[in-house]
Amino acid sequence: MKYSYTWLKELSGTKLSPEKLADLLTMHSFEFEEMKKEGNETQMVFDILANRGHDALSHIGMAREICAVEGRKFANGDSISIREIESPSRRLKIEIKDSPRSSSGGAGKKLCWRYIGAVIENIKVAPSPKWMQERLLVSGVKPINNIVDITNYVMLETGQPLHAFDASKTTGNIIVRRAKKGEKLKLLDEKEYELGESDLVIADSQKALALAGVMGGIESSVTRKTKKIILESANFNSTNIRKTRTAHNVITESSYRFERDIDPNLAEIGAARAIELLQKYGGNDVKLAAYTDVYPKKLKSWQIKLSADYVNSLLGEKVPVSRIKNILENLGLGVKISKNILNCEIPTRRLDLKTQEDLIEEIGRIYGYENISAKAPCVELQTPMRNEKRILEDKLRDILIGSGFSEVMNYSFYSQSDIEKCGLGIEGHFEVANPMNPNQQYMRRSMIPNLLKNIELNLKHFDKINIFEIGRKYRDEKKSSPTELSILTGVLADTKNENPFFNLKGVIEAISERLGCTSSYEIHKPKYTAWHAGRVAEIFIKGEKVGKIGEINPLVCKRYGIQSRVALFGISIAKLLDVSAKEKTYSPIGKFPSVKRDISMFVGEKTKYADIESKIYHAGGKLVLGVELFDIFEKEGEKSMALRIEIGSREKTLTSAEIDGVMKKIISKLEKDLRVKVRK
Amino acid sequence: MLPKKIEEIKAKAISEIKKTASDRALFDVKVKYLGRKGKLTKILKGLKNLSEKERKSVGPLANQTRQEIEKAIANRKKEISGKIDWGKEKIDITLPGKKQELGHLSPITLVNREAEQIFSSMGFGIADGPEMETDFYNFDSLNIPKDHPARDVMDTFRVKTKNNDLLLRTHVSAIQVRYMEKHKPPFRVIMPGRVFRNEATDSSHGHTFYQLDGMMVGKDVSAANYYALIDEFLKKFFERDIKTRMRPSFFPFTEPSFEIDFECLLCSGKGCSVCKQSGWVEIIPGGMINQNVLVAAGYPRNKYQGCAWDIGISRLAMMKYKIDHIHLFHEGDLRFIKQF
Repeated sequence: MKYSYTWLKELSGTKLSPEKLADLLTMHSFEFEEMKKEGNETQMVFDILANRGHDALSHIGMAREICAVEGRKFANGDSISIREIESPSRRLKIEIKDSPRSSSGGAGKKLCWRYIGAVIENIKVAPSPKWMQERLLVSGVKPINNIVDITNYVMLETGQPLHAFDASKTTGNIIVRRAKKGEKLKLLDEKEYELGESDLVIADSQKALALAGVMGGIESSVTRKTKKIILESANFNSTNIRKTRTAHNVITESSYRFERDIDPNLAEIGAARAIELLQKYGGNDVKLAAYTDVYPKKLKSWQIKLSADYVNSLLGEKVPVSRIKNILENLGLGVKISKNILNCEIPTRRLDLKTQEDLIEEIGRIYGYENISAKAPCVELQTPMRNEKRILEDKLRDILIGSGFSEVMNYSFYSQSDIEKCGLGIEGHFEVANPMNPNQQYMRRSMIPNLLKNIELNLKHFDKINIFEIGRKYRDEKKSSPTELSILTGVLADTKNENPFFNLKGVIEAISERLGCTSSYEIHKPKYTAWHAGRVAEIFIKGEKVGKIGEINPLVCKRYGIQSRVALFGISIAKLLDVSAKEKTYSPIGKFPSVKRDISMFVGEKTKYADIESKIYHAGGKLVLGVELFDIFEKEGEKSMALRIEIGSREKTLTSAEIDGVMKKIISKLEKDLRVKVRK
Repeated sequence: MLPKKIEEIKAKAISEIKKTASDRALFDVKVKYLGRKGKLTKILKGLKNLSEKERKSVGPLANQTRQEIEKAIANRKKEISGKIDWGKEKIDITLPGKKQELGHLSPITLVNREAEQIFSSMGFGIADGPEMETDFYNFDSLNIPKDHPARDVMDTFRVKTKNNDLLLRTHVSAIQVRYMEKHKPPFRVIMPGRVFRNEATDSSHGHTFYQLDGMMVGKDVSAANYYALIDEFLKKFFERDIKTRMRPSFFPFTEPSFEIDFECLLCSGKGCSVCKQSGWVEIIPGGMINQNVLVAAGYPRNKYQGCAWDIGISRLAMMKYKIDHIHLFHEGDLRFIKQF
């Protein structure tokens, strides 16, 4: 809120300069935002905390705050408070019809807690006094005429929003009621609003006059010709005001205060102060002709029992009981001490003070958090529980950057067009109800689309892209809670590499080895067209299916503007966590020498390497220590493979006859079972 | 005369041999004395022109000298072979190294790790929670009832479901009550993760960003403890003895609530554009956990006290690396990522 420094100074009696005051309030109450000089006035802007809208969105509230922070009581309170209103004999007819809607039960709460209406005659509309105009201007309110300015001035002073109707434009009575569905009302901003049943209006017998607590209607507004007004000082339900102003997208000084809840007892203070000013500045013969206060259920102050021990325990600072009492009294609370308990009476303007903790906050901030010294917590020595998933994720990150892969983090969203381009199908997708743009319409069910966008972007600058992402994908399985899966993905695109699949497969092999496992692969017929029909495998670690690796369908790549081949894998973190070895065991290094023998062979088109390897192990038994493919090429339609086989024994040094024997067995097995032609 | 000359040749040859430093130089010396036109060879060749008497006295001397020189060369050769020609060994060490490809981590991961490490060293565990949340954990359990103005501040992405009961969590504080329901105080835990807000984006506000919340609950956790924890974290994170201050604030899930500022590192508190002339930078909001939150988790009211706070990881990463646009974190541009 924008405050006038001179106004605050006058009310609080502070001797501090604007700069000093700004620092003081920032540390004890509200953050100071900015300062501006305007003629003789200084504007100070403070960010009033959401729970203090009740009392601090006013100059009196802020002045009381300044006094409390400076360690004094607010002395000026009485001069503003209300002289008894000389009750006129005539009464204004006011009806409050705010019962809950019959249709959908409007929470059953009263929408108008209190309504004061005062009829004031012999008004002479003119400009307001210069000092008042200056104070309005510095507080960010435009002066209009004496009547409107007085209502605004009193709001800025006390925090109570007021409104003045031209009585001659009404049927002379006030009805507070819900708007009828589709009822139209033109407000002061000259826009016509179509209202609904949840909106509350101030009306007369014939028509709506104002949107309650938000803005007055233009038809009943005060003009130069106005002679008689109905002054409104009321209290409206905060939740409902919020609903109305959100629905119609209007924020006013009035709605801003009402939606933060204000004290219904403030209404009569506001009314009395406005009547006092109207009698002074509203014309020479101003007369209060009628006054009615409808306030069926009066809000009374309440008590909180505060334990001084709790104050010290929660703040971690010993604040003497006398100091606690002093602080609370300066804030206007009534305090009675019995032993270590403070019985506090809360003034109704402090609607935010409901619990002991609320009071402890008041004590803490006025005492000054800068006076609370840091104390390291005194705790039991406890090792924190390990988050195994996070530890694994971090390990994977380290393995991947060691393999040359860089980490990307993509948004959790993609568009309908991504779903189509990758042929994912809409089923299983969660749709965002209120996306900011079409790119955020769906929650990702697959990591592929966003990764392809990364590849497309980076191919403009690099020939080879190797990236990984650890993130979540979301799947709607029509269960009570949504499925969120943490996934490790790796992607490789290399304009110079026609078979990125194998490079990526090598990475998975490295990962599983590092996790103390071995991986195996099975041909997979992909369900989604995003994958290449003939280059996809399911990844198994310790016999558990953990994910997939494959090439992306070149047609899909093209749709993303990618020319090179792209290989990609996805592994479930949860499954990886299940299979990864917790411990590693050493196996002794062989004492006897081993030999390496090469064999090369022509193999049939459909012969798979995995079969060759397994036949070799099968034929050679324990004596085969390792098999390694070191060459593969095609010549005149025939595929040739060259393998290096390591042969040895844990028990003894093998003779060359024994080694030859093993090789013979292997060769004959391969020739017989797989019909390969071993080159001799 | 001649024997004297032979002695001279021998002396010279031996001294030259000793001076040689390479095979090549040794070979040159060999040619000079023993080559076809070598000095000693000439004498040997001239023997046949001498009288028999002279031949008998000079001949053996010349041959012996030849053997001695050959032996000296052979010895020298052995010596040289144990040495290295450092001149030849020279390389241009300014040529570039062979490219070794290493990957790079996202700056978010780097900052997260640092923060996690600091809190882990203070005995904090790490908890996770779902990114798709319910109103209960994201709002109600944190003392933010329906129609509360605070729900306005955090514009929420909602997900289409039958009951319209799913949202994308707007803060990782949503993990608080989930964790409390499963654990009994005392505990210390941090909650890192991705959060979503449906609000206007600019260079420092994205619809997706990262937070790391923390909480500590026990019998007597105090505001003084809270200040000590955060002060220690900031000093460790920025690796210097920065000044901090605690001032009042308001959040529905804490009471009392605080804002912790640190003295602007750029102007040392004098006031500059980064700190909006205040000399201080607002960094960590938090406070003492509202009893209503502890009650929502099923704890008896006023049995425990705790503190909780929220660290903006995206913002810290931007500050630490002077990153000027929050969108860079999610674009996957390797020209950006490879700088970390």
